[in-house]
Order: sequence, then structure tokens, then C-alpha cells
Amino acid sequence: MPEKIPRSVAVLSSVPLNLLLNGVLIIPFIIMIYLAFIKWSPLMGIEWWRAPFAGISNFQRAFSDSRFIDSLGRTVLFTAIVVPLEFFIGLILAYILQKPIKGRKYLISILIYPLMLPPVVVATVFYLFFQPYGPVNNIFLRYIMGPSALDIYWFLNPSLAFITIIIADVWQWTPFMFLILYSGLSAVPRRLVEAAEVLGASGWTIFWRIRLPLIRQLIMVALILRSLEAFKVFDYIYVMTGGGPGTSTESVSLYIYRLAILYSDISYAAAVSLIVLVIILLVSRFAIRFLLERR
Amino acid sequence: MVRNYISNILLWLILVVAIIWTLIPVIWMISLSFKPYGEWRTPSLLPQKPTLDNYIMLFWPKSASVFIAYTALLEPITDSLIRSLIVSVLATLIAVIIGFFTAYGASRYNSPGPFTLFFTLLTRMLPPATFVTPIVIYYTTLNLLDNIIGLVLLYSATTVTYAIWILKGFIDAIPVEWEEAALIEGAKPLQVIFRVVIPLARPGLVVSGLFVFLMSWTELLFALVLTRINITLPVQISMYVTAVGALWGVQAAAALLGSLIPMIVGYLIQRHLITGFTFGLVRG
Amino acid sequence: MINQEVKRSLILSNEKSKKFDPSRREFLVTIGTAIAALGVGYAIGYLTKPAQIIERTITSLPTITGATTSPPPGTTTPAIAELSPVAQRAVLGIKKLIADGKISPGTTLRILHVTGSKAQLEKAIELWRKYVPEINIELVTQGTEPDVYTKAMNEAVTKSGSYDIITIFSTWLGDAVESGLAKDLTDYYNKYDPGYTGECAPIEPLGSYVTLYKGRRYAVDLDSDVFTLTYRKDLLNDPKYKDEFKSMYGYELKVPDTWEEVIDIAEYFTNKKLTSPRGGRVWGAYFYAEPAFAAYITWTNIFLEAGGILFDLNTMDPKIDSPEGRYAFNILLKLKPYMPPEALSASWADLYDKYIHGESVLTAAWPSLTKMAISSPDSVVKNVTGTALMPGVKVNIGGKTTIVKASPNPVNWVGIVDNYSKYPEAAYLFLQFMTAPDIGLEVVLSGVILDLFRKCWFTDPTYRSKAISGYGEDFVNIYMTAIEYSYPDFILRGGPEYASKLTTAVNSVLAGTLDPEKALSNVSSDWDSITKKYGVDSQLSAWRSLAQLFPESIKNVWRAKGYMK
Repeated sequence: MPEKIPRSVAVLSSVPLNLLLNGVLIIPFIIMIYLAFIKWSPLMGIEWWRAPFAGISNFQRAFSDSRFIDSLGRTVLFTAIVVPLEFFIGLILAYILQKPIKGRKYLISILIYPLMLPPVVVATVFYLFFQPYGPVNNIFLRYIMGPSALDIYWFLNPSLAFITIIIADVWQWTPFMFLILYSGLSAVPRRLVEAAEVLGASGWTIFWRIRLPLIRQLIMVALILRSLEAFKVFDYIYVMTGGGPGTSTESVSLYIYRLAILYSDISYAAAVSLIVLVIILLVSRFAIRFLLERR
Repeated sequence: MVRNYISNILLWLILVVAIIWTLIPVIWMISLSFKPYGEWRTPSLLPQKPTLDNYIMLFWPKSASVFIAYTALLEPITDSLIRSLIVSVLATLIAVIIGFFTAYGASRYNSPGPFTLFFTLLTRMLPPATFVTPIVIYYTTLNLLDNIIGLVLLYSATTVTYAIWILKGFIDAIPVEWEEAALIEGAKPLQVIFRVVIPLARPGLVVSGLFVFLMSWTELLFALVLTRINITLPVQISMYVTAVGALWGVQAAAALLGSLIPMIVGYLIQRHLITGFTFGLVRG
Repeated sequence: MINQEVKRSLILSNEKSKKFDPSRREFLVTIGTAIAALGVGYAIGYLTKPAQIIERTITSLPTITGATTSPPPGTTTPAIAELSPVAQRAVLGIKKLIADGKISPGTTLRILHVTGSKAQLEKAIELWRKYVPEINIELVTQGTEPDVYTKAMNEAVTKSGSYDIITIFSTWLGDAVESGLAKDLTDYYNKYDPGYTGECAPIEPLGSYVTLYKGRRYAVDLDSDVFTLTYRKDLLNDPKYKDEFKSMYGYELKVPDTWEEVIDIAEYFTNKKLTSPRGGRVWGAYFYAEPAFAAYITWTNIFLEAGGILFDLNTMDPKIDSPEGRYAFNILLKLKPYMPPEALSASWADLYDKYIHGESVLTAAWPSLTKMAISSPDSVVKNVTGTALMPGVKVNIGGKTTIVKASPNPVNWVGIVDNYSKYPEAAYLFLQFMTAPDIGLEVVLSGVILDLFRKCWFTDPTYRSKAISGYGEDFVNIYMTAIEYSYPDFILRGGPEYASKLTTAVNSVLAGTLDPEKALSNVSSDWDSITKKYGVDSQLSAWRSLAQLFPESIKNVWRAKGYMK
């Protein structure tokens, strides 16, 4: 493309974005940063701009807060399990649906249905699913395990509860990966595929060597976006386990939510959020630099 | 040959399992939405005494017998449905349009540069809970609380990054040569965008549009906090868990109904996912 | 090699694609945008006129049973004289405000509340409209309590005056006052007398502890939420079971007076492995232990009855790491095997569900449980539900062993006036009106979550028979005493946080992931940080005032143990 960027493109590609983001988000964001450096809660009865300066004490408190550190580790583990799982299943499904199957449109509509439901609703459904009176114990496991299936209490055991959250997330978000990968794969020029087929390449080779590399950028985008969202997991834990038993399935998002909304500890919550933000920022910076800049 | 056959069967199996896996909770939800109150907490797959009561509750709350003596009755669901539709459509238009042009500039001219692009990801990195109080403070001064415009702006601002990144992925995959050729032949940059890039980026537009639409359609936390009377659909759905007990069946019915519109959208857009790369068949 | 060919064919197809007709595309796009813009404009116009349009839409939707709300205003103006004095003063008060020009006719007051109270608030509004049609009341409904709390706290920060009245849990009263949200109503109480003294006052100590904070009135009581022990009369009175129980445990099967008896009875019935009509297992007991918010209720009940005190009255140090605290955990751990596992994981409504389907023998919850048991169409325990005081703990007071009983009163809705409201006095008068002896009873009986709280509703024959029609005679007989033995929730600043830390710990102990000693010391230090966060002096003064409002049954034990002078 020409070196000099045409005026129309220059304006269109930066002005609207800046207007939108700066108009809507910058000021609240700055407020939030300010809140992290003061000692304030609405329960103190003073205006937030009059609250005493707290320096970095909120941040120091966060680093010695074991509940925070635990939730952080747990959330990282969750993301590390869920994202690859969703990616591979999504990839396989996208591959399968490349073939012209009859009724493909309906199949795809079914497969992406989970995305149409608010996460809270999905969480509620799985909450009911895994109750002792729910279908998982009473119907599915009964076939495999017999009556002892009724004694499994999903939400009373930290590991089992963790698994239920994973299942809920995978159910809802695999279609996301699938859809991005599928649309990316579909957009690969037919010419290339047909040319390769003419030259005798097998379906598998076409997939691996031609389609996949072409959408590598898209794959990275999908992975990054999904990881960011997975890290913020909230609804499933809130509805299904309440963070329990105790706090053993509490994610970072849920802890921050409790701090901000239930305990009204807004300054501290802001500080914790900023720490989380910085961590994610650094990690994704490296991830993107490493993955994307191999053109 | 045999290997092909086996792998075909395997793939078929995977597909079938995936479909079933996806459908089980949905079927259960459908069945739940036809179950009367007493059966909501039972594991049976089918209702023993199916009833339309949960659906009646959605539209004519005062006539439904669900808990009629007990619950506070909510408003019919139509208003929040319409409101969600408007908010989602507007947010999608704004996010996709802005996202597209930004993605195009970023892909072809490196403007905005990689730093800004990365920066937009910030909007998705923040756990939302702490953002609530600041945005409420901000919106109160702007008088944007309980206002559709307020929600639209917030949604488009927080989802535009999706549109940008997805579209950039698609635009990057379009060979630059075509635009260069067009430019050489004297077309103006905007014409090039509209006549060459947009048709080819259609899958990207459609996919990112769908995602933004879905995210706006199902967003709960900020809708809860920022609306008072003008509630959106997810807020209404959440309100079926009341102080008197959870109306699971009604909530299932509401969620199913609420998913119809995105379903239709999702189905309709599919033909755009196969791109215009295929028109203009070259024979021979 | 491949690439060359591919590239060439790409360029060729490019030529073809450019021949796609541009003008038709542009035409379609323009038309489409125009239509979309028109549609958008119309929709925005439609929906940025919220209240009236929505009301119109709702009333225009066909109703199957054609229920109407109230007769059109202005048909007849009922005599104000037939109202109770409390309500009269409220109505006359607001008329005077209007006459004095302090509030103009046609003004709308807004109430922020939770969906559960909608039916009752609508009843209150309907009655209000009969006498005071000039002032409108609009309901802003939130789905769940946390949403009300969030909105209330946001209002405390933004001070926008978007609400005039907010219904909150008494647990949040400390937060509401200290954040500057709740208006001091003491002067209005003095001016208009909402009937908090005399034969028809809200039953003490509830009337006081739910409306006072640090000695001043900040709320008007709308409700009572006192727990009672609900039990299966048929099972406890069955001669077969009585004989067997006596031979196994050595005493008569009866309504339990102590938690130890609860454990015995629960053990007995759980081991009988009975089944409910819908095929579920019948459990001996179901008391709150769930992780989201209610586990602290049961634990605190036992703790206080055993004579424990939450905070030291001189230093505000948490005093739960004590013999009474250990005793409470002891009881709960012994009770756990005889409770359904869902008690630890499901939501609070599961307790209701189990009981009305006949799957628990001894249980305890809010008055709505009894209401549901006797009138829900799905209830299988309609005629066999008995009510009693919460079981107590045997304590040695001054050489004598007494059973100390106390009833929890968790949450409890109260109405506060938004400090930033433009019409605080009018808002207060609505609260006084809707809680008056006559109006208040009608309001309580029209719904679920607001329950009886005035004494004359139990003692006056007319009121009492109305109450019985809603709750059943058994319940009404016991409930007044239950209220007299009731104690407040954590009505301190940070109350929800204190309770939440305790709930998480109790649930963890019962789930087996934390041992009681550790739990007690963890919660103590958590509570300590909360106290220090807000200032020991401020918290101490609130706690001191609150402790005075506890029922005598508990204060006696505190005095006997030297916790209180």
C-alpha cells in the first residue's frame, strides 16, 4: 500500500474510535485509578474526592491478601484449562463442518446456540443440573454408576465444583471458538483449495498446510479474546457455587465483585482490579508480541 | 481408503456427540419451561403435567397461576425485549462501523499503530465489578442513567475492540494487491474500501457483528446497575429469581424466548460466511 | 509453482468481481439506511418516554382474568375519620404539606424496592391513592436484594435524589446511615407519632432495634422476619414413633426445647428413611447452612443462646472465639448428618421447597415458610404444620439451669427516606401511612415478604382473626412470643460484610474444608480488620447501642456471665 495514508482513511480509522473510547470510558477509568490510591468506601460517609490519600497501601494489602492470591491462581488455572479445550474442540468442529453436509446451516445454528443465552441463565441451568436432585446425578450417571451416583455432591467438593464450572464454561464458549474458526476457514479462497485439490493434496493436508496458516492471525485473535474473557469468569461461579465450598472456587472477578459490591470496599477493590489489569496486560503483551509478530 | 472411511466415521461421531452435548441443556430448559412449579426441582426429563403457565407469566403476569398468591408480578416481557433489541442493534452498528474502519486503517496503513490496537484490548481486560461505581458517577453527571443511549454507548465502547481485532484478522487475509491495483487505476481510497474490501470482508463483518450483538443482548451486570425502569431483557430474566424464591420454569421460558431473536440472526447471517471469493468462477 | 497459478487465477477473478454493479448496491444501501434510521428514530422516541408509554403498553395487553387494580380516582373520597389515628395523622400531615406549598399536587415519589414486595407496595399505593390522590407513588423494582443494595450504595455516592424511599434490610441500616444515605427521622417520629408506643406498637424489642441506630430513628419498620421452629405435627404426635423414640432415647418425643433434643429427633427420623409423596427422602432436620448468605443465621442463634456475645462491649474485640462459639460449631457438626446435603450447597429457597414437599421434619425459616406451607397449592403439609419457638440452650445462670431461647430476626425490611430526596417529609408520611395499624395489616396480608409486626394485630380480636386467615392459628399463637424473644441482625456499619465472613466460615466448617478452631480465629481477625477499617470508636458506639436492644433473655445471660453490666 502507498506510504502516505489518504486523509479520508486516516480520519475514519482513528477519530471515531477515539471519540467513542475517550468519551465513554476514559473518565470513569481515571476515577477508578484515583480510587485505588485513596482510602475510601461509601460507608465512610464522606465524598470520594475528599477521602484521605492512601499511597500504595491498598496495593500492599493486596499482595499479602491470601484470598486474593488464591483466587488469582485459581483463575489462571481455570483459563489454562478452559481455553485450549475450547480451542481444540472448536477447531475439530470447524474442520468437520467445512465439508458440505446436508442441513449444515441448521447444524451450525444448533452448535452456536449456547452463545445466545445470557451467561447467568446458563449458570442457572447447570446449577440445577448438578444438584443432587438434578439430571446429572439422577439420569446420566445412574446409567454408568448405578445408585451410588446419587451420593455425589458436586458443589460440596472443591474439585468437583471446579469441574462443574469448567463444564459450564466449555458448553457456552466452545461455539465462540468454533464460529470464529469456521468463518475464517470458510473465507479461505476457494481457488487455493481447489488448486491444491487438483494437484492431489488430501483433505487433511489442505487443512493443515493451506487453510490453517492463512487464518493464523484469526486464531491468535480468537485465543487472546477468549483468554481475556475466561479470566473474568464470574457468572457461573456466582450462581452455581457461590465461590464455595467456603471460598475454594472463588475467581478473581467474584472476589472483586464481593469487595466492591457486598463489602463496599471500593478503594481496595479498585487497587486489586488494577493489579489484575497490569498482570493481564503484561502477559498478553508478551503473548501477542511472540505470537503475532511472525508474519 | 479404509483410513479415510474410519476417519469419516470418527468425525461423524464427534459431530453427533457435539450436537447432543449442546442440545441436552437446551432440551432440559425447554422441558423446564413447560413444567409446573412443583416439578422444577425434580430430575425428570419430561414434565409430568405440562403447562403453558410459565409462558403466560411472561406476557400476562397477572393471569398466571404461578405463585399467584405469592409473588410480586413483573411487567410483561415485551418491553424489555424491544429495548434489548434496540440497544443491541445500535451498539452493533456503531461498534462494527467504527471497528471496521479502524481495522482497515490498522491493517493497510498501520494507523492506528499496534500500540493503540493493543490498548483497545484494555477495555476487555478489566474485571467489571470495580468499574461500576465510576461509571455510575460519570453517567449521573451526564444524566445518562436509565437511558438507552447510555447503554448503547457503553456497549459499543466495550465491544468495539472485538470488532476491530476480528475484522483486522479478516482484512489481513485479503490480498493487498487488489486494492493496490484499484488505487493504481485511479479509484479513491473510500471507493476501494466500499467496492473491494467490504464485500470481501463480509464474513468478518458478519461474525464480529454477531458477536457484538450477542454480547449486548446478553450483558447483565451494567444493565442491572445503569437501568432503573427501562430494563433490558437479561435484567428482566434475572428478576425471575425473586425474594420469594426462584421461578426456574419462568426464567427458562424467558431465556428461551429471549434467545429466539439471536437465533434468527445467527441463522440468517450464515450465508454471508461463505464469501464472495467464489464469485467470478474462472473456467479452465 | 502452485502460488503462481493461484495468484493468476485470483487476479482474473478479481476482474470479474469488479464488474459487479455498483449503483444497485448503493441504492440498496441508501434505502436500507433510511429505513433503519427512521426505525431507530421512532424507537428511540418511543422508548425514551419511559413511564407513561410502558404503563400504557402494560394495561393494553389483554389480561386473561381481567384483574383491575383500583377504581379510578375521584369517584368517592372515603372519610379520613375511619382511619386509625396513625394513618389519619399521616394523611392530614401530607394534606397540610400540600396546602403549605411544600409539595405540589401531581408530584411523584419514587420507592426503590425488591420484586418480592411489589404486591404489598402496590396495595399500599392503592390505599394511599384513595385518601391522597394528589401525590403519586412510583415503584422502581429491582430483581434481587443485592441489586437494591448496589443501587442504594450508588445513590449514596451520587446523591442524585432519584429515589425518595428505599426499602432495605435492617442489616444494611448501619451502612445506610454512615454513608449518609438514610435521613434521620427522629424529628418526624416526634412530630407525627407513627404509633411506636402503646398497645398497638411494633412488638419490642423488634420495633426498637430495627429502626434505631446509635440512638436515633433512621427507619420505619415494614416487616418482621423472626424465625420460628416449624415442625411436622403428625410425625411428632404419632404414637408409634413416640413409643419407639422413648425407648431409644429415654424421654418423650415432643417439640424440642434444646438443640440437643433437635439432634436426637433429627437422628431418629432420618434413620427411619421415610419417603415423601414425591418420592424424595425425608430428613430429620433442615437448618440454614448455605454459603451465599444464610449459614450465619443458625450458628449465631446457637451462639447467642449459649450466652455468647459478638463483640466486647468495652473494646469491640470480636468474642466469638470462645466456648460458646465452639459449642455452636459442635451442635452444627452433630446435626449435619441428619440434614440434606443441599443444606450446604443449594440456595435458601431449597429449605422451603423441601419442607412443603414433606421432606423435612424440623426446620426453621422466615414467616413466609408457614404461609407457603398452609396455602401453596403444592404443599403436602397444609394441616400438619406446627410452630414453636426456636430451640434453646441450657445455661447456668446464678446457680439455676435455664433454657435460654432467642429467635433470629435476619434481614427484616425497613423503609428509609433518601437523604437527598426533594420531599423527605412527604416520603416519611407515606411510610407512616402504609405501616399504620389498619393500613399496615392490609398491606402485610396482601403479599409474602412483609410480615406481621404490630402488637395489636395479635391482641385485638378483629385484627387477630384477619391475621389468622393469613397465617393460621398455630402460627399466630406463637409468633408474638417469638418476636418478643427476637434479636437483631448485625445492624452495624459493615453488617453485610461481618455476616458474610461468618457465613463463609460456617459453610466451610460444615463442608469439612476448615476446622472450627481455625474458622473461629479467622473470622475473629476478619471482623477485627473490618472494625478497624471503619474506626473502633464509631463501631463500638453503634454496637453498644445495639446491644442494649437485645431481648432480655439474652441480656440476662450476658449479665450473668459478666459480658454486660
